[in-house]
Amino acid sequence: MTTPTSAGGSPADADATGSAMVLPGPDAAAGGTAVPLGSRGSGQFADIRRRFVRNRLAMVGLAIVTVLIVLAIIGPYVTPYNAFEQNLANTLQPPSADHWFGTDVLGRDLFSGIVYGCRLAILVGLLTVAFSLLIGLTLGAVAGFKGGAWDGIIARFIDVFLAFPPLVGAIVIVRAVGGGVTPVIVALVALGWMTTARLTRGQVLALREAEYVEAARSIGADNRRIVMRHVLPNAIAPVLVYAFTNIGVVIVAMASLSYLGIGVPPDVPEWGRLISQATPFLRVEGKAHLWLAPALAIAITTLGFAFVADGMRDSLDPKLRGGN
Amino acid sequence: MARFITRRLVQAVLVILAATFLIFLATFALGDPFASSGEKAVPPDIAQANREKFGLDKPLPLQYLIYVGNMVRGDFGIDYDQHRPVSQLLEAAVPNTVRLAIVAIIIDILIGVIAGVIAAVKRYSFWDVLVTVIATLAIGIPVFVIGVVLVANVSGWGPFPSVPRSFTVQVPWYQEVLLPAFTLAIIDAAFIARLMRGSMLEVLRADYIRTARAKGLSERTVIGKHAMRNSMIPVVTYVGVSLGVLFGGAIITETIFQYNGVGYLLSRAIVNSNAPIIIAVVVFSVVAYVLISMLVDILYAFLDPRIRLS
Repeated sequence: MTTPTSAGGSPADADATGSAMVLPGPDAAAGGTAVPLGSRGSGQFADIRRRFVRNRLAMVGLAIVTVLIVLAIIGPYVTPYNAFEQNLANTLQPPSADHWFGTDVLGRDLFSGIVYGCRLAILVGLLTVAFSLLIGLTLGAVAGFKGGAWDGIIARFIDVFLAFPPLVGAIVIVRAVGGGVTPVIVALVALGWMTTARLTRGQVLALREAEYVEAARSIGADNRRIVMRHVLPNAIAPVLVYAFTNIGVVIVAMASLSYLGIGVPPDVPEWGRLISQATPFLRVEGKAHLWLAPALAIAITTLGFAFVADGMRDSLDPKLRGGN
Repeated sequence: MARFITRRLVQAVLVILAATFLIFLATFALGDPFASSGEKAVPPDIAQANREKFGLDKPLPLQYLIYVGNMVRGDFGIDYDQHRPVSQLLEAAVPNTVRLAIVAIIIDILIGVIAGVIAAVKRYSFWDVLVTVIATLAIGIPVFVIGVVLVANVSGWGPFPSVPRSFTVQVPWYQEVLLPAFTLAIIDAAFIARLMRGSMLEVLRADYIRTARAKGLSERTVIGKHAMRNSMIPVVTYVGVSLGVLFGGAIITETIFQYNGVGYLLSRAIVNSNAPIIIAVVVFSVVAYVLISMLVDILYAFLDPRIRLS
């Protein structure tokens, strides 16, 4: 890692260094010598952060994601009811002061259920993407850096897993491993690491011949150090953008599995499960909130992560601004 | 060129074999289908007879080799439940899925490309914002939500057949395919619109567009001919992948609309762990995906000679 921020050294700058995930690489060290722009600092991290903050959609996304994560952490301690507690004498109540979103088919408080579902979605989304990143970055870096037979073998592995219809593959894996949250994560990771690996491979391949890699080698750095300290930090930007977009995809995938009755146990208020339990009431007057609430929860979550990912991409590379 | 195609073919066969083996392993992990479980008590001799009948008494690698041998001859065995030949089930389901995929892709391309081009040409206008917002929303909404809402509110109305259908009612395929195709197309169209917009914006900045404008071509020619053709490349790639995925069967959409394609066949087979059907459908999906991506690659190699050399 280079020293991305120049003078200043305000807490905001420290924050930018800590949270910005794209390291500009040694050749950007020139940026560090740029004229300091007042107390806001300069250098690449500060630039990226400034572009991100100025992007309204990205900030909306960041706000959504922050709220979701806070809700996921503190949710079960602040919801008015236990999300699992069934009360069959009090089912299908309309929204009221007692039950903000009403109660569902099993008499559970729907608001508490949505909040619990948020915890589940965030947990599975983040863990799945983290494990996929771990596998994808490792295999991609090895394939791109070593090349030759390594590259060939890993590329074929990627092909095989990509050829699987992802949802079907996940269903079969979950059925084989057994129900629960862990098998869902295992299945989604098993079918979710390939694009990360491919992206990383491409990036590493392009950077392998960079001058600063040659420079590092000439002063005696070994492969491990070159990859970890020089190549990966420069290669990681698009990979992380993809990972962020993918969190929403993973959350939708988990909801799809539970919608089909696979994965998390039936009594867990998971968003997809809540939607499938509400399906019989689609045409019933005044019961739309039963499926609308979890459907909106999924849509807002996916949107939040997508906005942040879009904002990250735009602020990392202003040339792509307004790109897809 | 011949060498390129041969290499891609060999790779495709290897990928198909490996994927078949993986799905074989996975269904093996589903457990012994003929063991006693819960309320179902199976006498040991009958269970043994069944295992022998389905070849499950042999070691797994041997089972796999026998399966691949039969598969190459078009024999996918018989299913556990009703002992129907799986190849016949596939034959009945595949045409429906192919129709669904093609109709969905056409809707996709039409909506996606038009929306993307409008958004790019009228950048920052009301239409651009509208397309961007709808496209982002459509990507965020799970396909089953779109599906169940359509089933509840649109099916049984106008040309759209009701779901579920009674057995006595015959519905022509082009009516039956409409709603599921539309459901599938919404999300894909959103992706295509985003791709198209991004790629079009990039192309519009290119020098040859300025040249085309400078020599006085009408805006219609500049956009319709020069810009559109050159910005279609990422869309073509995406459509290729998407078609490969769609041919493999859309398990959720087909299940929601009770559409008799491979996805619905698969979802019913998964519910009762009917392994021969699961394996056959997954093999079909894998083959469809691999073949289509191979065709797309070869098409590219024809269109762009640089690819052949890499």
